[in-house]
Amino acid sequence: MDIAVLIKIVPDSESRLEVRGGKLDESDFKYMVNPYDEFAVEQAVQFKEVAGGKVTLVALFSETSSIDTDLRKMLAIGADEVIVLRQSDYRGDRPAGNATVLAEALKPLQPDLVLCGVQGIDYYQCATGPMVAHQLGIPHIASVTQLELANDKLKAWRQVEGGLQVIETSMPALITCQKDLNKVRFPALKDIMFSKKKPFENRAVPAATGPDLTCAQASLPPARGGGEIIDGKTPAEKVTTLLSKLRTEAKVL
Amino acid sequence: MDPFHPYFGIEWYWLLGAWAALSIGAHMWQVGYIVRLIRLGGPDDRFNAWPVRMREFLRDWLGQRKVIEDRLAGGAHALIFWGFLLLVSDVLDLGTGGMLAVFLEDIYLKDFWNIVVDIGYLLAGTGITIALYRRVVLRPAKLRGASIEGELILLAIMGIILTAFLLEGAAMIDSEGALAERDGWEPVGALFASFMINMDPAMLQTWVDASFWLHMLLIGGFLVEIPQTKHSHLLGTIPNVLFQDHAPLGKQKPLQMAPNGLAVSTDDLDIENLSLGTSNYSDFSWRQISDGWACTACARCQDVCPAFASGKGLNPMQIIFDVKDYGWEHGRQLLAGETPEESLIDRFSEEAIWACTTCFACVDACPVHIEHVPKLTDARRHLVMEAAQFPNELQAVFENLERNSNPWGFGAHTRGDWAEGLELKVGEPAEYLFYVGCAGSFDNRNKQVSRTLARLMQQADVDFSILGETEMCNGDLARRSGNEFLFQTLAEMNVTTLQEAGVQKIVTACPHCFHTLGKEYGDYGGDFEVVHHTQLLAELREQGKLKVSDRDTTLTYHDPCYMGRIDDSHDAPRKALGGEILEMHRCRDKTFCCGAGGARMWVEEDADKRVNLIRAQEALDTGADEVGTGCPFCMTMLTDGMKTLGSETQVRDVSEIMAEQLEA
Repeated sequence: MDIAVLIKIVPDSESRLEVRGGKLDESDFKYMVNPYDEFAVEQAVQFKEVAGGKVTLVALFSETSSIDTDLRKMLAIGADEVIVLRQSDYRGDRPAGNATVLAEALKPLQPDLVLCGVQGIDYYQCATGPMVAHQLGIPHIASVTQLELANDKLKAWRQVEGGLQVIETSMPALITCQKDLNKVRFPALKDIMFSKKKPFENRAVPAATGPDLTCAQASLPPARGGGEIIDGKTPAEKVTTLLSKLRTEAKVL
Repeated sequence: MDPFHPYFGIEWYWLLGAWAALSIGAHMWQVGYIVRLIRLGGPDDRFNAWPVRMREFLRDWLGQRKVIEDRLAGGAHALIFWGFLLLVSDVLDLGTGGMLAVFLEDIYLKDFWNIVVDIGYLLAGTGITIALYRRVVLRPAKLRGASIEGELILLAIMGIILTAFLLEGAAMIDSEGALAERDGWEPVGALFASFMINMDPAMLQTWVDASFWLHMLLIGGFLVEIPQTKHSHLLGTIPNVLFQDHAPLGKQKPLQMAPNGLAVSTDDLDIENLSLGTSNYSDFSWRQISDGWACTACARCQDVCPAFASGKGLNPMQIIFDVKDYGWEHGRQLLAGETPEESLIDRFSEEAIWACTTCFACVDACPVHIEHVPKLTDARRHLVMEAAQFPNELQAVFENLERNSNPWGFGAHTRGDWAEGLELKVGEPAEYLFYVGCAGSFDNRNKQVSRTLARLMQQADVDFSILGETEMCNGDLARRSGNEFLFQTLAEMNVTTLQEAGVQKIVTACPHCFHTLGKEYGDYGGDFEVVHHTQLLAELREQGKLKVSDRDTTLTYHDPCYMGRIDDSHDAPRKALGGEILEMHRCRDKTFCCGAGGARMWVEEDADKRVNLIRAQEALDTGADEVGTGCPFCMTMLTDGMKTLGSETQVRDVSEIMAEQLEA
């Protein structure tokens, strides 16, 4: 069973985040593999261990930034090859355009299963996966927390408000992975070293075409006012101070 | 009267010869077997610095330097040990029917030899009596549950000594039962003789014969037994003491060394052909394996181990027993070149391997230079880098170190934020580089320490700068937890950063940064002069650059392991603080770990098995108003410990206590 995993490259959540003139300053960003996509890779590797086949990672990213180390780590936990689609005007907040490019790259691979994270932690649109499924004309199951392979069918568990739904589908299909799906393994050093020998292709793709969205304005959430820590020798004294502040300053009592 | 006559029509020497052949043969065969097992171990070149090694051998082996640190048990041992060295030639004399004495008489040394042997027996006898008293009457807690082997061995040695005195005495009695000659050079023998005068000669002869054979049976029995029990230390301590580690305490070995004396860089490591860490018997070095036979089961390592004291599944002594027992149990397979299904580190157990705080109290306490900690850290290397099997919490920590170069995962670009408003030099040349470390940069409580220290240095006109964003974790936690590759990656980047900044002298408030930067970075080409802030502060106070008045509160000081014991630096913080310190029972080089070392800071601890509570209680027991320390992790652990114990006692860094008493 050949599996393709779509990987989004997202800014490290601890990167310096600054907005200048309504625009996000991305110059200091460090990038990483979207954590939800890591669950997808782990799931693909687990299926490969049972059913054989190949796991191909497909990522779409900008032309310049290097992301080799993080993608190699995905190879180290068991994926077989990487294709990075390099696009000159890549943006992470353009699901329709990105889905088109990804779907084009997937077609020649003819995967039996496509896995990806339920959302990217950069813009949280939850859109690219379903759009790719649509373009490939295959079924899509969203936000899966457990996935089983039964002969040539897939059984997927998903949490819905107040309940659990189990869906069966034939393959090929596209599954978006939610966070409780599995625990991503830690690669042993030897696996990291061996991963350097696995195929790693950088492939140029054309710039985005057609109508799309643009970001009009970005801003940071308003800064929260600092809290106040109440001083006092005894708990009783602290409570008294707190009560008087609630009455006089906060005026909530 | 002597026992040298035929028995059952066979000459005594044939009988003794047969027994000797049997027992010496069994001894030699077993020793050979052990030597072959030790030789299965990997290389560890310690065959150098012979003059130093000989001096150490005389001091530690012959002089029993560390043995006698335990006054009672060690003192008794030293008496037995020195006694046996003096008396051992008597075995040759008795075994040859007195030929040695005859020979010595010819060269006028017999009297001297006699008195030496007598003193030997007397010392050993005194030692045995003390040891038996300790085991039978005093029965220290750690001996409860120990096998009866110890008592039996002592009684057997006592038997050897008493029979020797009896034979000595009887030799002064003639065949009629009268005193033939009283030899003043054998005072104890003469004393025994005085009791034997006028005994029935036939009865005495029976006693003499029985004593002789009992004496010889016991000695032969010992030869057979020595390799099998803790008595193997009679031989095992010789290579152990002679080939003790000459590297600084706590310094770990790189993955691979290049011929130029530096570590092979991460880019050039031959990972495919390198065994990472240790798992199987032969992965361990010969010196690690020989430890098994040097162990005397004295349990001093067990007594000082924080993991053991807090009820975790680690007893350092058991690790050493494991090395020996595993060798015996799987010896045939190992010597046939096979790999037993159970690896040596399976025997240690993962629980034990991860419980170690790398405080090195066990290594420091061991009288025979056993190296417990490297066995565990080498096993961790295997578990992390080969097997990818380690406590869950560490996975996030490793990823945070890889990504943001600090264990908590704060953005690397915020590393210098603690210094906001202090107007420090960042990345500029200065006399000292202040290497802040992760805790001092990101942990709120310890950021206060960094700020205080920076202000003190400013006040004393110390020219220093910080690296700011370009500083990284020193890698201690990665190294101690077995992720050697990650450690080396960090070390290589740090060395490059420091060299590019032209750094020569480093001051740090973290004993772990102090240890890795100062003692371990040399292998990666980084030679820096590193001081701990307590050392610099003590110097500044001594030079009068910081004027500090006396405290009006009482204070106890907790020595961080990597300063107090591992670096043996415990005067500096006390000089820096000045005044009286209410010392804890375990202090200075005998300090007790806070529980954070060896990456334990980031691994969950069961609520009822917390090392920090033990140490916090010890601090409270001094009755001091507050606790001083010199390590950000000790700070966290002890502060938490105080809270859990319901105490409001403050834990503060040396710099903070000084800053408060600073004269304007």
